[in-house]
Amino acid sequence: MTKMATEKRAFQPVSGKDYGYANARVRGMRSRLLAPTFFEQLLGAANTREIIQQLSATEYESDINEALIRGLSAANVDIALRSNMVRTYQKVLSFANEEAEYILSTLLGRWDVFNLKSLLRAKHFRLESDDLGGGVLPVGTLSSHDIGALAQLEDVKAIVDTVATWRLPFAGPLRDGFSHYIASGELLPMELALDQHYARWATDRLSRRRTNVKIGRRILGVQLDVGNLVMALRQLQADVAAGDAESYFLPGGAEIDLDLYLSLVAKSDVDEILNELKKVSYGRLLDEVVMTYLEQNSISIFERALEQALVRQVVSLGRGDPLGVGVGIAYLWAKQNEVTNIRIIVKGKEVGMPLDRIRKELILV
Amino acid sequence: MIKSRLSKRIAVLTFLVVMALPTMAFAASEELGGEASAYIAKAIGAAVTMSASALAAGYAQSKIGAAGAGTLAERPEAAVWIVVLQALPEIIVLLGFVASIMIIGMPVTPPPGG
Repeated sequence: MTKMATEKRAFQPVSGKDYGYANARVRGMRSRLLAPTFFEQLLGAANTREIIQQLSATEYESDINEALIRGLSAANVDIALRSNMVRTYQKVLSFANEEAEYILSTLLGRWDVFNLKSLLRAKHFRLESDDLGGGVLPVGTLSSHDIGALAQLEDVKAIVDTVATWRLPFAGPLRDGFSHYIASGELLPMELALDQHYARWATDRLSRRRTNVKIGRRILGVQLDVGNLVMALRQLQADVAAGDAESYFLPGGAEIDLDLYLSLVAKSDVDEILNELKKVSYGRLLDEVVMTYLEQNSISIFERALEQALVRQVVSLGRGDPLGVGVGIAYLWAKQNEVTNIRIIVKGKEVGMPLDRIRKELILV
Repeated sequence: MIKSRLSKRIAVLTFLVVMALPTMAFAASEELGGEASAYIAKAIGAAVTMSASALAAGYAQSKIGAAGAGTLAERPEAAVWIVVLQALPEIIVLLGFVASIMIIGMPVTPPPGG
């Protein structure tokens, strides 16, 4: 791991479990999140230049100005948005107390998995390190310096070896998956190993019996449930052997255990899956969008409903205990959702997507 | 919560001294007679009232101060509100002060038959 990155990460979190300072600061930051009406204004913009003008009057001003030195384009707006998000996440972690830092960094570990997968894919398909920009977001354990150093490496093997040298928690699953990669030439086993390792690692870290840790555990559980449900729904369209289905399961979900997951993947159509899901809370949620599914005949309707439910549930934590970790978790999710919404609008406008279609893609909370 | 070991020791020691004071004072007052005993009791009552209200105000201000500092870091325009909120717990200590003055000023009535 690079020296600079190690130094940067060596900040001392505020000791103890006093959430007063951190939560007041997070609430101050939350007050600057963009209102739903602002997204309507962005949708009304005629072109990228107008979108940039509107964004320059917001929290994103400094990042937009910095990125636009490279030119006025949607790709540079994207860089500005990502850089703002990374800076915001690091800021929250820098003043979080010990307990909050522990919980937040565990939940943000999913970004490490995301970054490692992007790096592996880039090396597998022999992409240049410059092409990687949009595929990584250094908000987890891996800093931008670490990711930059990994991106400069020659191939997948070099990444696996370097991660092992740095003794990152993902070294084990990468090493195990690498033998399958060599044998089959496919990245999927490595990616699955990373996902499953994260699910186990995070579940283990959030198994303490403290109120705030339980909140983090609940969010992780819902996140894993959504992942498993999406996988079960996608397997309807893919020809997956019954024996292989289990290898896609992420352990540690709140309501979807292995037995339920296996019974879901054994179903042959959506109706049967929805019937099976009546036992858990996700059944009612998916029932609400079943008419839209019948109209459009697309599994993505369910994926979107699950994603929306996850975002809404996490963001609602911010209205709970004012002196708990929920405020911080909710803010980080709301910020990510805001950046995603702006990216959808910028990209949608650029490719000439109809406004109604863009509007449907947004998650407004 | 009190975190450092030294702070914990000081807090425990102060608590023990405060608890021991009335016993010592009453033991001394036995020798001085009924009226002196009443004065000492009033002084102890006023001291406990004043210190409990001051500690409560301090605790409230520490919490409000931490949250206020966090808010100010992100929203400097809220400075006036933070000062107002920070000053509010002073009311607790003022009430304690008034109550202790009232205790001191209470007339000493001789015990029946004394």
